[in-house]
Amino acid sequence: MSATTAAVPFWRAAGMTYIGYSNICAALVRNCLKEPFKSEAASREKVHFSVAKWADGKQEKPSVILVSVLRVPALHGQPGSLLLA
Amino acid sequence: MAPLGARSVSTQIVRNRMKSVKNIQKITKAMKMVAASKLRAVQTRTENSRGLWQPFTALLGDAPSVDVKKNVIVAITSDKGLCGGINSTSVKVSRALHKLTSGPEKESKYVILGEKGKVQLVRDSRSSIEMTVSELQKNPINYTQIAVLADDILKNVEYDALRVVFNKFHSVISFKPTMVTILSPEVAEKESEAGGKIGDLDAYEIEGGETKSEILQNLAEFQFSCVLYNGALENACSELGARMSAMDSSSRNAGDMLDRLTLTYNRTRQASITTELTEIISGASALEG
Repeated sequence: MSATTAAVPFWRAAGMTYIGYSNICAALVRNCLKEPFKSEAASREKVHFSVAKWADGKQEKPSVILVSVLRVPALHGQPGSLLLA
Repeated sequence: MAPLGARSVSTQIVRNRMKSVKNIQKITKAMKMVAASKLRAVQTRTENSRGLWQPFTALLGDAPSVDVKKNVIVAITSDKGLCGGINSTSVKVSRALHKLTSGPEKESKYVILGEKGKVQLVRDSRSSIEMTVSELQKNPINYTQIAVLADDILKNVEYDALRVVFNKFHSVISFKPTMVTILSPEVAEKESEAGGKIGDLDAYEIEGGETKSEILQNLAEFQFSCVLYNGALENACSELGARMSAMDSSSRNAGDMLDRLTLTYNRTRQASITTELTEIISGASALEG
């Protein structure tokens, strides 16, 4: 592969994948909704699954994933600011 | 067995069996209706989600016969049983893929979604399992959940090509096992130099300050997440459809069994009545004569 050191986007440099980044952005947008739509959207955000890694044919302890993104506190009344998670 | 002191063949056993078969029939009928109502809800979402991966296939093409060193087979199965043979077909296809893609320099690993697949694959391919996921359907499947899962898989598993295996929902009675191949960005670049559909990528102009390899990387990740979302929904639909037909045939069999038992019951009952009558009549005629 070519060894260009083109500037990678900030989220890639921070170790996130594209889907991780888009997930966080989606959560931020859902947070901005007004009340009746906000609770409907919250149901589209529920994450629950249990994942277990395997090593040498043995299953390690499964971990239950419940939250999709780190909850960033909403900044009220500051419409112009950009939240960098 | 027959109760003590009974003078003829008892009808009680047959009656007990008929009661339990009738209960089973009621339960399976109820399960079929539950599956049918759930299916209606998921089916519309599945059909809508098909539009998510179609642009990817239009842009990048599908390369099922690509030959790479590290294959990861993502098998989507269900957590619950009583759904006919769909999990067995998925596992069969996954095993065949594993055989095809393993070799002297190649290796292939499994990532299994769903308990039923795990149980079957653990029996003979323990060492090739990389990760297993369960309890996916606790809440209705949504894109966020699948995106987090896809993120987890991408971060923890090394791959050159991901092959997602699931049952595609064609109709309530037809589910075909399907496989979708997603190439890692490096392999996609190599393939694009070799020509073919991906080779046409160079015909597109790239806006913004990104390079082609960056775009390919983003695209590959997004493609995996979309395909996984669609696959999970299609598999859920197929599971519900298969459960409907399994429960339907089970209630029909229970009905047939009930008919046969009723005939046996009536025959036994009539035979015992006849025996009693003959005893009474022969006793009476013995007294007279």
